[in-house]
Amino acid sequence: MAAIRTQKEIRQRAPIWLGILLLTNLVIMAVDARDSVTRQRLLRVWVQALVSPAQSLSSGASGASTSFFREIVNFRQTAGENERLKEDLATAQLDLRKAQQANVENERLKGLLNLKEQTGYDQVAARVIARDSSIWFNTITINRGSSSGIALNMPVVTGGGIVGRVIALSPWTAQVMMVTDEKAAAGAIVGQLSGSGALGSVRGLGNSGLIEMRYVSGLQNVEVGNYILTTGQDGIYPPGLNVGEVVQVKPGTATQPHQILIKPGAKLDQLEEVAVLLYRPPQRAAPEQTLPNVDKTKK
Amino acid sequence: MPQLKIAAALAVAIILQLSLGGIWPPLSYIDFPLVVVVYIALQRHAWQALIVGTIAGLAIDAPSRGLIGAGGFSKTLTAYLIYIAATRVNLENPLLRIPVLAAAILIDSAIYFFWHRSLGYPPSMPFMQTISYRLIGTTIVGTFALYLLDSLFTERARQRRTFASRRKGARRGPSTLRRR
Repeated sequence: MAAIRTQKEIRQRAPIWLGILLLTNLVIMAVDARDSVTRQRLLRVWVQALVSPAQSLSSGASGASTSFFREIVNFRQTAGENERLKEDLATAQLDLRKAQQANVENERLKGLLNLKEQTGYDQVAARVIARDSSIWFNTITINRGSSSGIALNMPVVTGGGIVGRVIALSPWTAQVMMVTDEKAAAGAIVGQLSGSGALGSVRGLGNSGLIEMRYVSGLQNVEVGNYILTTGQDGIYPPGLNVGEVVQVKPGTATQPHQILIKPGAKLDQLEEVAVLLYRPPQRAAPEQTLPNVDKTKK
Repeated sequence: MPQLKIAAALAVAIILQLSLGGIWPPLSYIDFPLVVVVYIALQRHAWQALIVGTIAGLAIDAPSRGLIGAGGFSKTLTAYLIYIAATRVNLENPLLRIPVLAAAILIDSAIYFFWHRSLGYPPSMPFMQTISYRLIGTTIVGTFALYLLDSLFTERARQRRTFASRRKGARRGPSTLRRR
């Protein structure tokens, strides 16, 4: 029988299979790593589109299992009481919890609605369906994609403040890099946009959950508790959005900038609903053609 | 049929990996698909281990911000190295599986990290801290998971279950018959 292989044959062929599979993975990696003209990786779009139903399913399953375990805990708490009181109490607790959850959700959604009034930008509300599965990156996946009008680099916010920006898209999902990611950055200012000169840029610090603000002159007055707002100069976030609150300042000098740590205003570890601002930064003006260095022979 | 069982175990591991992090984020440090890959490699099923390694890695890469293929590469290579070790050294002892599992986590994480660094996608999480949490979480949970997989998959476990009921019957045998 040709189909039956001996252990020796299998052992001999294993390196060939290994080579083929490693090469396949390498090719996939190479394609994924390459930036195309549109700055969006086609492979990622397809894969995300394929994976999104499974992610939604697993998100649903995790929600169901969470509520299942919560029910068990409730049952244990009331086990010592008599049957009638136990039923009444369980029902009351369940109703109360539902009401509290509805209240919290209501507050969150109200915050998102207020955000539209405050910022004046159109927005798409989205639900967080997954966190980064590989644990190495600070990203989340939301259940809205290019079919809802979302584009790459659009800012993602909650009522509390900025969450991050869209870095990958499929028609039905989008991947969001959070502001706490080491690669995330934004132009920011301490205090009011017009009332302060403490300009700088904020950058994530990985898994510490904090953000660092850089390049703020040591001569500027910065205190713990000050609010940080976006300036809009980064071409991603619109001006005036809340970034967070200063929690630590290492004062600088005339030649050294302050070292500032910020706690994000958005509760990034408890995200459930977010809003994607359909914001497109204003186009920057072309370089002045009358400058002496510009080649004028083309005219 | 064993292929079906492997596919089912892998599917469960991937679902656990994708959903548990949502319930409690520290649970995402446990690499369930890697445990399945290590188990199959320890059974000396060469091509199954390699295929499962690739599928498990790609399934975890897909919804991640990391490079698609990096996890597939690291898990496939890890599967092969464990398979080679299992064909040369007897790793049937459950205690020996603990260091094997720990080594698999280290190899997998190191290769994954290496590719991201090399191709300009440095991970946001600190390497040592993440690898330590993965090592602790996956080794502890993985040791029990390997035992569970063992009792579900191996022929010896199946025989043990079958013969246990026969032995029970045999012990009851003559005296029960006489009473009838």
